[in-house]
Amino acid sequence: MHKTRSTLIFLSPWLVSFAVFWAFPLIFSLVLSFLHFNPLRPDTTHVVWLSNFVKALQDPLFWKSLKNTLLFVAGTVPVTTLVAFFLAVAINQRIPFRTLYRSGFFIPSIVSVVVISIIFKQLYSPFGLVNKLAELLGSEPRSWLSEPRTALLCIMAMDVWASFGYYTILFLAGLQAIPLEVYEAARIDGSGFWGTLRFVTIPMVRPITLFIVVINTIRSFQVFIEIFVMTRGGPLNSTLTSVFYLYDRAFYRFEMGYASALAYLLFVVILCFSLVQMKYLKMGRAAGE
Amino acid sequence: MRRATGKRAKQARVNTAVLSVLLLLLLASTLFPLYWMVATSLRGEASVMKTAVDLWPRSPSLRNYVDVLKSGPFARYFFNSIVVSAAVVLGNLLFASMVGYAIARRQFRGKRLVIVGIVSMLMVPRQIMMIPLYLLISKLHMMNTYFALTLPFLVDAFNVFLISQYVLSLPVELEEAARVDGASDMNIFFKIVLPLSRPALAVVAINTFLVNWNSFLYPLILTNTERMRTLPVGLALYSQGEHSVDWGHLTAGSTLCAVPIILVFLLFQRHIIEGITAGAVK
Repeated sequence: MHKTRSTLIFLSPWLVSFAVFWAFPLIFSLVLSFLHFNPLRPDTTHVVWLSNFVKALQDPLFWKSLKNTLLFVAGTVPVTTLVAFFLAVAINQRIPFRTLYRSGFFIPSIVSVVVISIIFKQLYSPFGLVNKLAELLGSEPRSWLSEPRTALLCIMAMDVWASFGYYTILFLAGLQAIPLEVYEAARIDGSGFWGTLRFVTIPMVRPITLFIVVINTIRSFQVFIEIFVMTRGGPLNSTLTSVFYLYDRAFYRFEMGYASALAYLLFVVILCFSLVQMKYLKMGRAAGE
Repeated sequence: MRRATGKRAKQARVNTAVLSVLLLLLLASTLFPLYWMVATSLRGEASVMKTAVDLWPRSPSLRNYVDVLKSGPFARYFFNSIVVSAAVVLGNLLFASMVGYAIARRQFRGKRLVIVGIVSMLMVPRQIMMIPLYLLISKLHMMNTYFALTLPFLVDAFNVFLISQYVLSLPVELEEAARVDGASDMNIFFKIVLPLSRPALAVVAINTFLVNWNSFLYPLILTNTERMRTLPVGLALYSQGEHSVDWGHLTAGSTLCAVPIILVFLLFQRHIIEGITAGAVK
């Protein structure tokens, strides 16, 4: 009896936090998504049932933002994963300065994305270093972030730069968990560097690859700070992403009912992607065995 | 035979050298943007445009830092970031370990439900909840307070997971012996479990600090006065208005935001990497 009470005391911080800051908002936002709700004009609040969802599906900006977000995910996640994997394999060799690489490559990923975005806004600016470099290579200076064709690509390139070090560390942990005997056996069987990579390393790091791809996808779906600081969705909505659109609708136009519906739709998309990835990558492992 | 081995060893040395050169070049270009930030922040105002290609400012000065700290609001931002991060770290050290301990050591009804709840907090992106959380905080009249910036983040699900995994790995005999000697539950928790969990607590503290120092979306929507902005939010908003191409001041503010986190990383990298890989390799 006494023990039950103390268990409850130990659990209470989580119970309160879960109820107030998680379960309640999750349910409340579902309710909101069925309402027309503007916090500045509470008198206009009324139930609209599924209209917000119907409106979203007919909203060209919703589709545009989803398309941009998918482009962002499809462009950055594979590149980041490949760079991180090969870098981890390289650092895992018997070479000098391994600890230097391990911490050095990691540093960009702990710096605030706001800071990263400001640095790259300067690098991409008309008088910035990227243009100086382009001039040296004989091409015309551009306004990288003000052209619809280049803006999103530039942000994607920056995102790869800012995050690959993080995933390199994860891959390194995965590589170091591979028992040395496995490599020894591969060597005795006469398999070379690429053979070992193909038939030993890659199958062995599949679980951590799954983890990396899933968390990177979830994270990339939420791209927001970069857009907020660098382009605010422009030029011509070419960098409008889902979370930025949701933020814009909720906190600039105060259409909080509609924005809640957008949030739920985004949540469903992210969930589907994670489930598909888990299934696909797990099947790959079963097929490889 | 010997010649073949010698040749292979030589080949290996060449490979190592080539790989090292490539990696060092890649490392230099990875760190270059951060170097560029510091270099730009040390330029005098006038030379920012003119000598934009100088790799190191000709007459480095701290003027930009004095400007953003004195006339700009950055001193206040910095203070807010420290207060909020410290409070969230302390909260997680106490609360996440209480919860983690209960999950590791106690049997109770609904335990599986609690675990499902914690896992679901890890899976669902928090952005989904920005609107209800904003409405909740403003209904409670907590906008622009330290409460708004700390209360929702005091019990992080990942920290709970980390602590409970660690406590599970501790021998239970010490706690049992203390109980036989008549120690109370609180005494056992504070005098035995917490001290033994120090390595896990270090990981929790450092990772919570990293995440919270860089936190952006929630501090953005839960504050709307200059006085309550944290460093990343203040910096982002500073870069939007009249200062949008004021690179000297912007990079000085950026450096102020980046340096504490890089220092913490360099001091505690072992714990940080442990914390990151803990969730992955399990």
